[in-house]
Amino acid sequence: MEGRPTEDSGLVERAKHGDQDAYAELVTRYQAMAARTAYVITGSDADAEEAAQEAFVKAYYALDRFRPGAPFRPWLLRIVANEAINRRKAAGRRPTVDLSVALDRPSPDTALSPEGAALASERRDLVLAALRALRDEDRLVIAYRYFFELSEAEMAEALGVARGTVKSRLSRALDRLRVVIERTPADG
Amino acid sequence: MARTMDERELEAVLGDIGARLAYPRPTRMADAVRARLREPRPRRRWIARLVPALVTVALLVLVVALASPGVRAAANELLRLRGIDIFPVPSVPAPTTPPPSASPAGRFPGTHVTLADARGRVSFPIRVPADLGEPDEVYVERVGTSDHVTLVYLAAPGRPAPSAAMPDVAAVVVELRGGFDEAFLGKGVGPGTRVEPVTVNGAAGSWIEGQPHFFFYRDAQGGIQQETLRLAGNTLIWIEGDVTLRLEAQVSKDVAIGIATRFR
Repeated sequence: MEGRPTEDSGLVERAKHGDQDAYAELVTRYQAMAARTAYVITGSDADAEEAAQEAFVKAYYALDRFRPGAPFRPWLLRIVANEAINRRKAAGRRPTVDLSVALDRPSPDTALSPEGAALASERRDLVLAALRALRDEDRLVIAYRYFFELSEAEMAEALGVARGTVKSRLSRALDRLRVVIERTPADG
Repeated sequence: MARTMDERELEAVLGDIGARLAYPRPTRMADAVRARLREPRPRRRWIARLVPALVTVALLVLVVALASPGVRAAANELLRLRGIDIFPVPSVPAPTTPPPSASPAGRFPGTHVTLADARGRVSFPIRVPADLGEPDEVYVERVGTSDHVTLVYLAAPGRPAPSAAMPDVAAVVVELRGGFDEAFLGKGVGPGTRVEPVTVNGAAGSWIEGQPHFFFYRDAQGGIQQETLRLAGNTLIWIEGDVTLRLEAQVSKDVAIGIATRFR
């Protein structure tokens, strides 16, 4: 589901005219998505939280440049991602990011045999390690598609590229992910 | 364990990871944002916006007043502080391009290779303009830590008309790894040259009409590099991801942008 476009645009219109309650509603609506997007880039709760918050402030002041009727969510995500990427660059962070899988999350592996579950977990670790080594931009495009399941149109808007470019971006990111996976030492 | 996964397996694992990532716990961000919005908007925003403009003006004055190698070095140093788009200079050095009679392999920088070889040598995906097809010559050059790829299209029916600088060359495409979201592009342009910001595939670009001769870009390490343009013709520069692309050809802006949108 691509957000709630009609309601969003009403809130955006009110926020544009200085209605901060309306904007607070948009923040509440998209804070989880914004923080998750930033987390994919920063790999840190605190940094993700800060980047998302800063992005919401910046987005508020940029509302006059928001195209009326356009979807709000991908527009916001673009600002969030830029903010997170810029923060990581400014902090001179190492290319790998501390992305991790929550341990306390209920496992959908319960239907699997113990061996199957172990294999699934091993594969997850392998791919997660490769994701950590990817460039921020590649990790982002993969997250938009497979973690957040954005539509192609939303991805284009969130990445700031033409719609026709989304597929090639994604496939190049996946290619690089595969290269990292294949280069992982077998005992890794 | 096998280190290869087919596409469907990989996609399934990615979906699984997406559902389990240790995302930040929800907070009441609306309150924090609201508090920030109640604060007076920092005035230095405007100053911060003005600084690049002031630096550009200062640079312009410096370069116009004393177009010397020392000032060039200072300008490079200033450019390091922030990406500055385009600045004019009072005159430009004569093109260093060898005469057209020189052997094809000597006219462009780098090693003459096939497109397939080039793809194996550089760290980014090389894309070619669908409108022009496979290039006639490909050169790869390593400048510092950055790979440059030059695709050369020789004059042929149906291709752009060659420029006087290289009467047998219809178009040149140069691809190199540059900045991601900021147009860290600078260009020394001669008097009377028109520079226009354009949008190519949704990203920022520049269209330069006239006689540009050298150009700056930010390499992958953030350093500023200078490079000479080859055709001294009309030039379109744009960014795709972290790769900067440049098309030099004697075509109109709309035709150039059209070619740029059909890279594959």
